[in-house]
Amino acid sequence: MGTVHARSLDPLPMQGRDLGVNHDDMEGMETEQETKQEILENRNIVVQHVNIEGLGRTKEDYLGHEISDVFNAKNLIDVMKRSHDARMKLLRLGCFKDVEVLIDVSEGADALPNGLDVTFEVTELKRMTGSYNTMVGNNEGSMVLGLKLPNALGRGEKATFQFSYGTKETSYGLSFFKPQPGNFERNLTLNLYKVTGQFPWSSLKETDRGVSTELNFPLWMTTHTLKWEGVWRELGCLARSASFAVREESGHSLKSSLSHTMAIDTRNSAILPRRGALLRINQELAGYTGGDASFLKEDVELQLNRPFLFGSVLSASLWGGMLMPIGGKPSSIADRFYLGGPTSVRGFGMYSIGPQSEGDYLGGEAYWAGGLHLYTPLPFRPGRGGFGDLFRTHFFLNAGNLCNLNYGEGPRAHLQKMAECIRWSYGAGLVLRLGNIARLELNYCIPMGVQNGDRICDGVQFGAGIRFL
Amino acid sequence: MSLAAEAFVSQMAAAEPWPENATLYQPLSDEQILLSDNASSLAVQAYLKMCALPVRVSCRANAEFMSPSGKVPFIHVGNQVVSELGPIVQFTKAKGHSLSEGLDDVQRAEMKAYMELVNNMLLTAELYIQWCDDSTAGEISRPRYSSPYSWPLSHILAYQKQWEVRRKMNAIGWAGKSLEQVYEDVNECCQALSQRLGTQLYFFNKQPTELDALVFGHIFTILTTRLTSDALAERVKGFSNLLSFCKRIEQTFFEEADQSSASSLHSKGPSLL
Repeated sequence: MGTVHARSLDPLPMQGRDLGVNHDDMEGMETEQETKQEILENRNIVVQHVNIEGLGRTKEDYLGHEISDVFNAKNLIDVMKRSHDARMKLLRLGCFKDVEVLIDVSEGADALPNGLDVTFEVTELKRMTGSYNTMVGNNEGSMVLGLKLPNALGRGEKATFQFSYGTKETSYGLSFFKPQPGNFERNLTLNLYKVTGQFPWSSLKETDRGVSTELNFPLWMTTHTLKWEGVWRELGCLARSASFAVREESGHSLKSSLSHTMAIDTRNSAILPRRGALLRINQELAGYTGGDASFLKEDVELQLNRPFLFGSVLSASLWGGMLMPIGGKPSSIADRFYLGGPTSVRGFGMYSIGPQSEGDYLGGEAYWAGGLHLYTPLPFRPGRGGFGDLFRTHFFLNAGNLCNLNYGEGPRAHLQKMAECIRWSYGAGLVLRLGNIARLELNYCIPMGVQNGDRICDGVQFGAGIRFL
Repeated sequence: MSLAAEAFVSQMAAAEPWPENATLYQPLSDEQILLSDNASSLAVQAYLKMCALPVRVSCRANAEFMSPSGKVPFIHVGNQVVSELGPIVQFTKAKGHSLSEGLDDVQRAEMKAYMELVNNMLLTAELYIQWCDDSTAGEISRPRYSSPYSWPLSHILAYQKQWEVRRKMNAIGWAGKSLEQVYEDVNECCQALSQRLGTQLYFFNKQPTELDALVFGHIFTILTTRLTSDALAERVKGFSNLLSFCKRIEQTFFEEADQSSASSLHSKGPSLL
């Protein structure tokens, strides 16, 4: 009897590789089996063996935690549910291309009459995957080579290597990821990298070569990241015409910093959320572990989302940050904050608010920015349920300020300074969600409170961003 | 900025008079600067003093990286940044200050040739001794060059610089030379300069030119800088007319300037007198 049910059941919830859609399958399965459920649900069973087949380089002890829960099942439905959860957990490890579950009655000498065996048939990912891209743009061509070694040592370790060779710049990144067995969210990452950035708003070119170690762990509702980073920074002028203030910052420096990030994210989506809140607090202490740069940097990000009338969403966000140089040395242009652009204070040029010298923006040691948005679906909802859901229209009101503080003055003076010369803007536009990592915005903006030296974008502004106000 | 626009800006700058706040940037004079950079910086300072153009000397640990050509010294005049003696001479000429105006074409060509000789022989020899002689590189050049930086960046930058200079030496065929051969080259160069100078006040009669500034910068610095051995200074000391030439320039342009205005900064340091 058991054989018949189990054999016919097993492929049902286990099709596909997709990680997120199987709840529907489960429901469908349950209704289908309703006639037999009365017999099965009350019947006690014992899971005698759980096997994993198809293991090559993956170490069996690494998977023990993920599948051990299956042993606690008391009836057949329970076995299937728990097996399904175990399958999800296995797939999440990033070791397997596919996992199938087989439930069968126990056989052999010690088999109990109500004993079941659960077998996970896994297909491992290839030892190495590679990718090759070429990119052309902005007077520069580059070739990007990527190598990935999933599950390199058999316990979920992942090594990735990316190398980009361009006509102007080369950059690379090497990273090694190691999760704690049985607790995938607790993991360690090591990075080695070289990146080059060009910042035309500051006429600045920066080359960073660095190593970092990062420890991630969840704690109650929050996720924490502890990081140490040692980076050799080389700053230079982007052009001969760069202002002397930027020229003075040229040269080499070493930053060694400890940082801690705490985040609570209850939003239902990272890019176009309907409900939920995000709070992220980041603090960085540089100089304590050596290096030339010494400062304490605090950065806070808060976002609240609420469903509003007719499928629209009301969203409010607030950012703030402060950089305190330690030991009398002025802060570096590479460490300071920048504000403005199509996804922060809209209506202003990219990072073009605040202190500047001959048109090169030098950044500030303190900033705040806030935004109020009303997101609505597209008018008349074209492409509903499909392509159209990637778009929203929005109305926004942004405000912010970026300046340098004199740390001899008290907090009152600081607050006063932050409240002076507030830049703000309002407008409306279109938002397009790109995957679940970035968004594109096309806005009509009206900047207000423009200060001398700010670069504005009065009218249509287009831009993309990962972080948005 | 396009080339045409840049040329236009420099034309505009040329029309402006020499400002009071002109500044010369060089590495930290006490703990960082090396013989070759010090010589180049002194040459520019001497040149500007000969032109009677006031300049304030500012020492920065990152002077080399601030310079648009990656070489020190450089001057910041108005909103223009110009590095190295050659371009600075051109720049002052555009502003109407020149020391070689009175020379005829033959003399000017001769002056250029001697300047090339100094740059190719004396400067290259200084670089060779600094970075290719292991004891000088290890005891003086690397520790001094990297003094503003913290470990491990100090090591990386010092070895990177050494590697860069050695690669240059390879390219110009100096890598195979022994220290003795380099000293011999310095000797020959000084011989040539000494013969050209003869008993004159300056290389071209009674008026100093940029060649005088350049020779003064190098000879003076070689004589007053302590290295692991005295061999280099000893070679130069053999030429008495070069010695008195250096003393004369020091007296005329540095001592007098110091007496006349207390505010004028001179970072020349040691003295021959």
